[in-house]
Amino acid sequence: MLKNKNTPQTLMLSAAVGLLSLGLSLQASADQYSDAAKKWVDNEFQPSTLTKEQQLKEMAWYTEAAKPFRGMEINVVSETLATHEYESNTLAKAFTEITGIKVTHNLIQEGDVIEKLQTQMQSGRNIYDAYVNDSDLIGTHFRYGKVVPISDMIKGDAKDVTSPTLDLDDFIGLEFTTAPDGKVYQLPDQQFANLYWFRADWFERDDLKKKFKDIYGYELGVPVNWSAYEDIAEFFSDKVKTIDGKRVYGHMDYGKKDPSLGWRFTDAWFSMAGEGDKGLPNGLPVDEWGIRVEDCHPVGSSVTRGGAVNGPAAVYATRKYKEWLEKYAPPEAQGMTFSEAGPVPAQGNVAQQIFWYTAFTSSMTKDGLPVVNEDGTPKWRMAPSPHGPYWEKGMKLGYQDVGSWTFMKSTPEKRRLAAWLYAQFTTSKTVSLKKTLVGLTPIRESDINSEAMTEAAPKLGGLVEFYRSPARVQWSPTGTNVPDYPKLAQLWWQYISQVTSGEKTPQQALDGLAEAQDNIMMRLERANVMATCGPKLNEPRDASYWLNQPGAPKPKLENEKPKGETVPYQELLKSWEEAEKS
Amino acid sequence: MTHSKRRGFGITFYILLLLLPIYWLLNMSFKTNQEILSSLTLWPQNFTFHNYAVIFTDPSWYDGYINSMIYVSINVVITLLVSLPAAYAFSRYKFVGDKHLFFWLLSNRMAPPAVFLLPFFQLYSSIGLFDTHIAVALAHCLFNVPLAVWILEGFISGVPREYDEMAYIDGYSFPRFFIKIFIPMIRSGIGVSAFFAFMFSWVELLLARTLTSVDAQPIGAIMTRTVGASGIDWGVLAAAGVLTIIPGLLVVWFVRNHVATGFALGRV
Repeated sequence: MLKNKNTPQTLMLSAAVGLLSLGLSLQASADQYSDAAKKWVDNEFQPSTLTKEQQLKEMAWYTEAAKPFRGMEINVVSETLATHEYESNTLAKAFTEITGIKVTHNLIQEGDVIEKLQTQMQSGRNIYDAYVNDSDLIGTHFRYGKVVPISDMIKGDAKDVTSPTLDLDDFIGLEFTTAPDGKVYQLPDQQFANLYWFRADWFERDDLKKKFKDIYGYELGVPVNWSAYEDIAEFFSDKVKTIDGKRVYGHMDYGKKDPSLGWRFTDAWFSMAGEGDKGLPNGLPVDEWGIRVEDCHPVGSSVTRGGAVNGPAAVYATRKYKEWLEKYAPPEAQGMTFSEAGPVPAQGNVAQQIFWYTAFTSSMTKDGLPVVNEDGTPKWRMAPSPHGPYWEKGMKLGYQDVGSWTFMKSTPEKRRLAAWLYAQFTTSKTVSLKKTLVGLTPIRESDINSEAMTEAAPKLGGLVEFYRSPARVQWSPTGTNVPDYPKLAQLWWQYISQVTSGEKTPQQALDGLAEAQDNIMMRLERANVMATCGPKLNEPRDASYWLNQPGAPKPKLENEKPKGETVPYQELLKSWEEAEKS
Repeated sequence: MTHSKRRGFGITFYILLLLLPIYWLLNMSFKTNQEILSSLTLWPQNFTFHNYAVIFTDPSWYDGYINSMIYVSINVVITLLVSLPAAYAFSRYKFVGDKHLFFWLLSNRMAPPAVFLLPFFQLYSSIGLFDTHIAVALAHCLFNVPLAVWILEGFISGVPREYDEMAYIDGYSFPRFFIKIFIPMIRSGIGVSAFFAFMFSWVELLLARTLTSVDAQPIGAIMTRTVGASGIDWGVLAAAGVLTIIPGLLVVWFVRNHVATGFALGRV
């Protein structure tokens, strides 16, 4: 009885305590997000181009916008790169604490990312809620119609979850993710370029400079054209041979039969040689893949259809690739893949490399390397790549990789929008300068011009100078002419390797490549799988017809080795500025 | 005496030769990337545990091992549960088409896993099994069950039918007979089947990778992240490799006697 009597009271009391504590915890949870934001802004997201107040305000917007998505778990994926590791380990955690959306940022090899993306495109089933996918696939995405353009999202269903401080115009790579229909398909997340790399310390040595001038009749410096590059390669490999008792080489490359062999060709080799037409970011109507488009429809890549992939410029470039690899590179280079060849210049016996990814910057500035001075500054510099004899002003001069957030139509809307929030977060001004300093893959104009980048510049061998120069627009990813990047890219290494092995001449191998490319495009045309701008192949006609038309495909030059031209590095920095005016 | 000495030397040399790649992997896993890339060293000059620390401190790394172990264990259990009764039936009973069915079962193993990729992906994602451990375990059963049935059928046929009959006369119910008397008699066969199921499932990557994205991602898929646009992280890759050998090593250690008997009985 007594017990019974007490029960309601106890109940009431415990209910009251419970309610109170619930109230307290609600109170606490209202603040938990802003506390987290403050913690991250104070301890991690410094330096930034924003003031702390602005940063906190931006973060507060994320907390608010994420309310409807709180408690969700989303999965995004990207390739492995210092920048993405930072996102996966740090930014994903910060985002989860600031917004309450649990995000898993998965890292896998780039090939696997593409495989998952293709599986999702073909099956229509959601695997990841967002992908960081190279903008090289822009031609693929806008044709297949499986990707939600971010410009549509911003105006449409993601209107309320698009950050007012996103500032799209600040992104330097936006042009590369914009399709001919004017829509922006992807949001750039990291980018790095392919530049010329050389040992600035050796190029400054008086004995070497004199010797070079005696032999070749002009100054040793950063090569402007391939003739000079070839001379310098020969100079170091055959004339100098040893520096400080160590065998040195004037060229580095790789030649193993491996998918990565295709990259160096589809990325930049032909564009540097001058295979395509004028036009930035990519040549029109013929791009550096040798694919001609008419009114956004690819019409062929063989010369007989108006393309240029087996034209004289491409053949010349392929011949030079093989010749230099055999004559001037270290002998083991022929058996190497991209990843094996990449770290070789850091070992200190390579004088120059025509084609070097700036993604290697941080691994080449590590203390204790033979290419790094005592004070931590590099002995090497990066500079614009030299161009081949077919190249003309107004053409692209190299490759830039632009990893960009990509959203699929087959992802459930709510998950896609939550992932869109995360994508904006990883590129927001609050975090992006810090991310750039960690991964050295700048995406925002404001970061590049920041004081923090000026301070970091001396240790980065020219990276900051390059990205500040307007010349950077000459470095661009694969463009919109390529209708199906995964299907076409995989052809290249198989045909190029026939050249490295000596099985076929460059002309024969490239004829094979052109035919294979056209066959794939023909199949795409027949299958009619593309939503817009699908291939419509030209009827083959005599090659001379196309070669006599202006622009690409260009007829064979009488003299493919004009006089070598070089410039001192300091003057070159100036030329980057001049590129703006031209 | 000299003869056996010479033979001892030969075997030692042979074993050393076999162990060389594994030693090299182990050696690399204790080196820094800089050392791996810069010169040829027979043992680590700057000994480091850094590569292992990367794996053990990052959940997205060690979860891969846990995921792999989970689906491999599930797979081994399912394989044995399914193939023991099947093998018994094939061995003891005659039914229409038994020979053909038995052969058909085995022919499943002859198809390369790659052909099942997309159908399995479609199937699993439509029934909500995508990215779960059970999905991978079931997919691997397609290859492991036939092999296990085939191995076990051999062992079971080696047990005279009279045992079954005697147990029946002694009043054992069938389940009791099967568990108490029969299974202990084909222990070695079960050990061998479990071993092969484990081995296949542990190293299979294609299906495991395609059927998962995050929650059940196998270690093999996670290892690919050491390959990036700025080169390969050789040290961590080697450490991850060493760690994948260990579970296999343990399993072999535990079933080594059974495997030896299994081999001796000739079915494998």
